[in-house]
Amino acid sequence: MASLIPCPHCGQRPKEEFTVKGAALARPAADASREAWFDHVYLRENPRGRYDEHWHHTSGCRRWLVVTRDTATHEIAGARDTAARTETAK
Amino acid sequence: MSAFAIEHRAALSGKIPLISTSVTLQALPEGHVLHVLSANAGDDLSGKIRAAFGAETLAVRFVSPGQWFVVGDEPISAAAHAKIVQKLKPHADVIDQSQGRVRIAIAGAKAASVLAKGTAVDLALNAFPVGHATTTLIGHIATHITRISEDRFELMVLRGFAESLWDELAELSAEYS
Ligand SMILES: [Zn+2]
Repeated sequence: MASLIPCPHCGQRPKEEFTVKGAALARPAADASREAWFDHVYLRENPRGRYDEHWHHTSGCRRWLVVTRDTATHEIAGARDTAARTETAK
Repeated sequence: MSAFAIEHRAALSGKIPLISTSVTLQALPEGHVLHVLSANAGDDLSGKIRAAFGAETLAVRFVSPGQWFVVGDEPISAAAHAKIVQKLKPHADVIDQSQGRVRIAIAGAKAASVLAKGTAVDLALNAFPVGHATTTLIGHIATHITRISEDRFELMVLRGFAESLWDELAELSAEYS
């Protein structure tokens, strides 16, 4: 099996056990401008290289993770539980 | 309690145990499966859960941070269930999954080899010791696996998947029978 994701709770697991939600972005403040929210909800970068994504271990521990993946090589730099991450809005 | 008695039919009642020298497959009694959930994912409540249930070590199985399954072959009465809920209330909530999840035992020298054909989890004894439990895919079916002894595992699936998993395991076992 290809891409193994190192789940901090379950160990190495194949990508088939996960659901990918997309870029893990800092959330704007609740009262941020309309433009800031539009940008956050609809506009995405398409970076080449390291990228933080939300992955859900759907067929495992069912925890949300932030997986750091290289979009060019598919190399996984690491994964951590979303709860262990404190988001800060830009 | 329901006003009507519901006739309980085991999901795998039609399945005859598969027995060969190197692998056996057997549906376990649909006794009880209780899901214990703590709001604090960082807490290890396994000791408290064992105490509340008076359960043996292997009956309390890790699911995910802050979550455990407690299983057994005997049904738990409504009164006993209420008592357990009360005891664990300060730490966790208890959800009765007895009718929702079905257990299958797979044992024998080739049990791990059969499972290894269906899952990517490392089943080596040092990586997956006795008492270790985890949820993974077997084929396309999410299955909770617990190692009961060196060559015995218990699998637990949502009731609706029990027959499919059984059939798949039977097929995976065929080369050893
Ligand atoms: Zn996991």
